[in-house]
Amino acid sequence: MMENLKAITKDELLNEGEKLLTGGAKFITAVCRDLGEQLEVTYFFSLKGGTEMYPLRYTVNKEEEVPSFSQITLATVLIENEMKEMFGLKVKDLALDFGGHLLLAQDSPVTPLLKTTGKTASKGGD
Amino acid sequence: MPWMLPTILKNFFGGPATRLYPAEVREPFEHARGQVSFNEDKCTLCGTCVRRCPAEALSQDKEKNELVFYPARCIICEVCADICPRKAIDLIYKWRLPFYTKPVEVYKPRGKESGKAEKEAAATREPALNN
Amino acid sequence: MAARTTVPFGPQHPVLPEPIQLKITYEDEKVVEVVPAIGYGHRGIEKACELNEYTKNIYLCERICGICSYIHSVSVVEVTEKLWPVELPPRVKYLRTIWAEMSRTHSHLLWLGLLADAFGFESMFLQFWRIRERVLDLLEMTTGQRVIQSVNVVGGVRRDISPEQKKTCIETLNTVRKESEALIKVLTKDYTVKSRTIGKGVLTKEQALQLGCAGPTLRGSGVREDARLTKYDAYGELNYEPVVEEAGDSYARALVRARELFQAIDLQLEALAKLPEGEIAVRVRGNPPANEDVMRTEAPRGELFYYAKGNGTRNLERLKVRTPTFANIPSLLVMLPGCELADVPVIVLSIDPCISCTER
Repeated sequence: MMENLKAITKDELLNEGEKLLTGGAKFITAVCRDLGEQLEVTYFFSLKGGTEMYPLRYTVNKEEEVPSFSQITLATVLIENEMKEMFGLKVKDLALDFGGHLLLAQDSPVTPLLKTTGKTASKGGD
Repeated sequence: MPWMLPTILKNFFGGPATRLYPAEVREPFEHARGQVSFNEDKCTLCGTCVRRCPAEALSQDKEKNELVFYPARCIICEVCADICPRKAIDLIYKWRLPFYTKPVEVYKPRGKESGKAEKEAAATREPALNN
Repeated sequence: MAARTTVPFGPQHPVLPEPIQLKITYEDEKVVEVVPAIGYGHRGIEKACELNEYTKNIYLCERICGICSYIHSVSVVEVTEKLWPVELPPRVKYLRTIWAEMSRTHSHLLWLGLLADAFGFESMFLQFWRIRERVLDLLEMTTGQRVIQSVNVVGGVRRDISPEQKKTCIETLNTVRKESEALIKVLTKDYTVKSRTIGKGVLTKEQALQLGCAGPTLRGSGVREDARLTKYDAYGELNYEPVVEEAGDSYARALVRARELFQAIDLQLEALAKLPEGEIAVRVRGNPPANEDVMRTEAPRGELFYYAKGNGTRNLERLKVRTPTFANIPSLLVMLPGCELADVPVIVLSIDPCISCTER
């Protein structure tokens, strides 16, 4: 389902996404991935009753600020907050900012999904 | 309320829907996942189950010849029973009773000493699935 | 101007067994603002999936949700299979469809009971759960366990449905249908039910699409969208058409689920009748290659989205799970303002929130 993947830059995101939304698309989710020096963010949109999918992908350096899609639709608020606290992605102008405490608590590990944090699985259940 | 009336009448004249549990227990279904049991005579301590257990409920000590099982961690997926090359792990249909303290079960495998079991198992060995 | 009060709804609330907090601001009895706060049940499963071997992920992902556990295991298995890709035997596809629809049946029965409980119709709640017990028995008989089935592996399934079990399944499903029909009649015709749900929490078609809702919340607003239309598993070969209601209120969402309940029973009976003979597993060699793919499946609560990327080792590079409730929470921010204090539980429940799913 990744055949429609379109590489964009972070500044094109709002325009491209809005174009899809006005064409009747629905936002599904965004996926962030750690590439070492950079972060790769993919926004997934579905079209035609869910049978077609349009992913938009951009890559940014870890320190760069990125625009928030929640300016256009509230649907992305939770996932952008999640990426912000899980990967340290610097999303600016969030429509609803949880301040890094959407899923994590005050004494939780910082940016836990980066490859550099937490390399071993801990044994639970005892 | 009139639409609920047939159900109410049916329940009023029908028997109870529940069982008198501790006195009357439903027989478990055949092949229901209850708990796992280990056969010390067949086990050769190869360590396959220890590596493949998703819940890390098993550990082994080759020097002491021990297989340690932590039932409180076990999620009864029965991956160990499926992949055991010697068929030393069986499934029991009955549930394990609740416990107050977390038990630790230590097994002393003797499969290596009796080479007979090994040959027998090798003859009936089936390819394990990808779990 | 009336005085404003902020009341926390949850994290412990009688209508929700799971922890979510909604900070609701009221003006007299009317809701004016809602701010959701989640994070009480975060378990870090995505991180654990990266550190685990891919074969162990199945058992971990199954535990993301207790009710839709089967769909979670199907999704994680199929997204991993897509990395090779693995060609599945037809019997596996049908078996997975049957079990998925079985879990949908029990999930919808559970939800219908919870809805009845939310507006205080407790006898109906127990009647629905009584029927649900029969479906759970079927799952235990065919897969070995009631709730966490652990029946999928990469490349196939671990249990088969024997001819005798098939016969029992068909008999039980017909009983379930007969018993549910009597109760659904109460749901659709009773005055109490109607007055508590009709016109509550209206979500228009445009809003539903804009907010990216999923599942019955979306279809209750008149959008024909369902992940089963992508024809995964055996859905392409079965007679399937999504259930759509136009009204967009809590009652419409209840009707969607009620109709899907019967549809799920029909799909199971059809799949059982068409069940092809053959292998129940193929052998998969090696580790997941460094490809990426997504899997979209229809869980009882809505569309479930899995993204996976391999890197050639036993561990996956990244596994992302988007659960239906995660997509549906923003819709609460639109549905709740304007409603009465007493309607909040019904509206919150009408999206079928599953918080442990959401936080993973």
